[in-house]
Amino acid sequence: MKSISDLKISISGIRGIVGKSFTPRLILDFTQAFSTYVGKGKIAVASDSRPTRDMVKHAVFSGLIATGNTPVDLGILPIPSFQVYVKYSRANGGIDITASHNPVEWNALKLVLKGGRFPFSFEAEEIIDIYQQGEFRKENTFPKKVYEEDAFEYHRKRLLSFADLDAIKEKKIKVVVDSCNGAASPYVEEFLKKLGCDVIVINNDVNSPFPHSPEPLPENLKQLSEAVKKYGADIGFAQDADADRLAVVDERGEPIGEEYTLALGILSYLRYKKISPIVVNLSTSRVIEDIGKEFNVKVFRSRIGEINVVEEMLTYDSFIGGEGNGGIIAKDVHLCRDSFTGMVLILELLAKTGKKVSELKSSFNQYFIKKEKVKVSLRQSLLIMEKLKRKYKNEKLNFKDGIRIESDEFWALIRPSNTEPVIRVFIEGKDKKHVESLFKEISDEIKRLRR
Amino acid sequence: MNNLRVSSSGIRGLVPDGLNVNIASDFASAFSTYIGEGKRIGVAIDGRKSGFLLSDAVISSLSATGSNVVFYKILPTPILQYLIKNRKVDAGVSITGGHNPFNWNALLLLDEAGFYLNSIESNEVFNIYHSKEFNKVGWQRLGKIEYENIDLKDYIKRISELVNVDIIRKRKFKIVFDLSNGAVSSVINDITEYFGIEPIFLNDKTEGYFAHNPEPNPETSSQVSSILKNFSFDGGFIFNSDGSRVSIVDEKGGAFSEEYTLPIVSKAYLLKKKTPIVTTVSTSKMIDFVARGYGVSVFRTKVGQSQVIHTMEARESFIGGEGSGSVCVRDFSNGYDSIFSFLLILEYMTKKDLSLSGIRKEFPEFFLLKYKVPVSPGKMYGAVNHLKEIFRKEKIDLTDGILVERKTGWFNIRVSTTEFILRIIIEAEDKEKAFKIKDELDERLWGVL
Repeated sequence: MKSISDLKISISGIRGIVGKSFTPRLILDFTQAFSTYVGKGKIAVASDSRPTRDMVKHAVFSGLIATGNTPVDLGILPIPSFQVYVKYSRANGGIDITASHNPVEWNALKLVLKGGRFPFSFEAEEIIDIYQQGEFRKENTFPKKVYEEDAFEYHRKRLLSFADLDAIKEKKIKVVVDSCNGAASPYVEEFLKKLGCDVIVINNDVNSPFPHSPEPLPENLKQLSEAVKKYGADIGFAQDADADRLAVVDERGEPIGEEYTLALGILSYLRYKKISPIVVNLSTSRVIEDIGKEFNVKVFRSRIGEINVVEEMLTYDSFIGGEGNGGIIAKDVHLCRDSFTGMVLILELLAKTGKKVSELKSSFNQYFIKKEKVKVSLRQSLLIMEKLKRKYKNEKLNFKDGIRIESDEFWALIRPSNTEPVIRVFIEGKDKKHVESLFKEISDEIKRLRR
Repeated sequence: MNNLRVSSSGIRGLVPDGLNVNIASDFASAFSTYIGEGKRIGVAIDGRKSGFLLSDAVISSLSATGSNVVFYKILPTPILQYLIKNRKVDAGVSITGGHNPFNWNALLLLDEAGFYLNSIESNEVFNIYHSKEFNKVGWQRLGKIEYENIDLKDYIKRISELVNVDIIRKRKFKIVFDLSNGAVSSVINDITEYFGIEPIFLNDKTEGYFAHNPEPNPETSSQVSSILKNFSFDGGFIFNSDGSRVSIVDEKGGAFSEEYTLPIVSKAYLLKKKTPIVTTVSTSKMIDFVARGYGVSVFRTKVGQSQVIHTMEARESFIGGEGSGSVCVRDFSNGYDSIFSFLLILEYMTKKDLSLSGIRKEFPEFFLLKYKVPVSPGKMYGAVNHLKEIFRKEKIDLTDGILVERKTGWFNIRVSTTEFILRIIIEAEDKEKAFKIKDELDERLWGVL
């Protein structure tokens, strides 16, 4: 096999590189398939700030009109705000044009169904099936598109009623925020000012290129760290291009790590909102179990993928959850990863405890987590997974998503990627050396098996 | 029947059964690939419901293949052609069904001078279209997409260099306009204001529904006629949906055949400048009458804007057009412009101090018969070839279909490039002679179809 296609059709939508696979024809067809699936009505359309957004958007409009649906153009909008809009405007569905944390040359269509949620896997399979059959609903009504002036409004309202405004406002927290010139850029400053924060914004121009890779990883937070130190801020926030994930920098300019973003959010929720079971995915840090113990609530672990977390939150009647990559989900606002919800929860925690971010972080058990990938061909990956199951059969195993090995000292998750020819390995433990040697053992085994 | 027709003017069909978004996307990609990366391409629509459906697909595809897009929304094709000639944009795609019924639409391609593509250029575009080998550009080089509300000032200024504005203003024309719910609706106000015309506008809403077929001719003139019969106006004009054709109704409500537009505008223009005239083999001989009066020659081509205007260039002709009500004045632009034609007629009326009915009297009374015969796609060309055999011993011209010249009159039978019909035109000294020819043709066609 020469190389793997850049085109990814998966349950979260369709993704590709502009100038390679992500062409107007592909966008037209996929939009028509989705539009055929959701039935007739209004379909919301928004984008993040990528420079390819207009090209993609026009093809999406055309595909919707061709299938008799009315496009509602929301302009540039964060994806959580988009999902909230779809729900409360009673749209029939939505297409968000965003490749999230992927580099600038990528773009994608994220599909949202009535009620503002992503498709469950069976629904996504049905949409992909329509796409592959290529038979779309044909209409000659040609509805006119409509424009929405302030699509952020529904989200803003829900966030402001979720936040304890008086408590946060009183502290006048000094915040630096880096929205990566992404979809949150037009909204975040005004929003944080409504929370009474002293706000310094960096990278909030949607017409400028991404200043750094739009994934909120520690290595992309240098500019934010500098700014926090320079302005003597209490906290720094970084949002990714579609503003679903959040990263945090403490008052000394140190990134706290994405896993602890989620921990701070969940801690705040359980302490100040209400008691609820927690749902996180299988690759999230055990710090969440520690919090669960403290509040005596159950922690459920879902398969990887935002919609899987959401599905289990519905199943277990959970109000708080998320992913260790900085994606906090609070049902009170909406069942989706939301960096704005994350900021509200963390600011509320700062305001009410009066503690510094670094102090709050050090109050948790400190774990060392390693996330790596090992190259394998697509053909080999499933076979290797089967062999690994046999190899570790004497350990405590969970096969819900890949292989998860549990012990008191550590946990490891080994799973083939849906998007790259790699097997991903996640290991977390208290001792760094132990984690490193376990990783070496597992990755050597994969390398041996792939030969 | 596949409801899709391709011709050198572009790609045309019933939407969505013939022309759909995927075809529009590929065709725009092919055109953009042909024009080459980095150019600015103007895009316009007429008032049809499917306009935005197709423009969104076209805009996305032009951008994805590296062309910058200037979207004018609803704009007559001739104004887009004018903008191209004056280098506001480098090329164009006009999304318009022209005179076709409301549920049709088309993508018309305009080259760097505002011409419809010639047959060699359009062949190349179709080859790219069928090969699906489109230019693909990365995110840094995607075409920019701009929206522009057209400022008509330059367009009007250029008109006023070629027609005498003052004398038109002084005459204080009162005119009834039927805009066929098409693109001229978007600009006509500025024109009437500038030229001091008191207007009544009919069918000037561009909401996608047509009060009648947007084909200017005596049949579609009835609304305008009824107003003129009852109220005092100087005349009426019926425009098609993209502003490339116009027909005339006189001050008493008498609807002229659309064949009158070209000879009248030519008369007006030849007063200013002597130039050969180019028209098609399917156009009334009235134009020869005009040409004789001014001592200029007439060249006849196949039917179609592309053929006529490219021939005008080759023959150094500055006026040309077709019997459908289309006229091009090449000093002004390289397309059929109904607005400019209309203003030339007003100027002529003023200069000669004539009414529209007075102008008509300047022409000999020929009798014209134009009709269509529906025919299945498979039989179209066979029928015409069969007729060639039948008439081959007469004085026959095969430039487009069959043209037969007789002492008492002439007729032309050809395959339409836009619909599944045979178009037949008969012109004779009087009605009786015309119908005698029609009876003969009906009998011959009966045998073939």
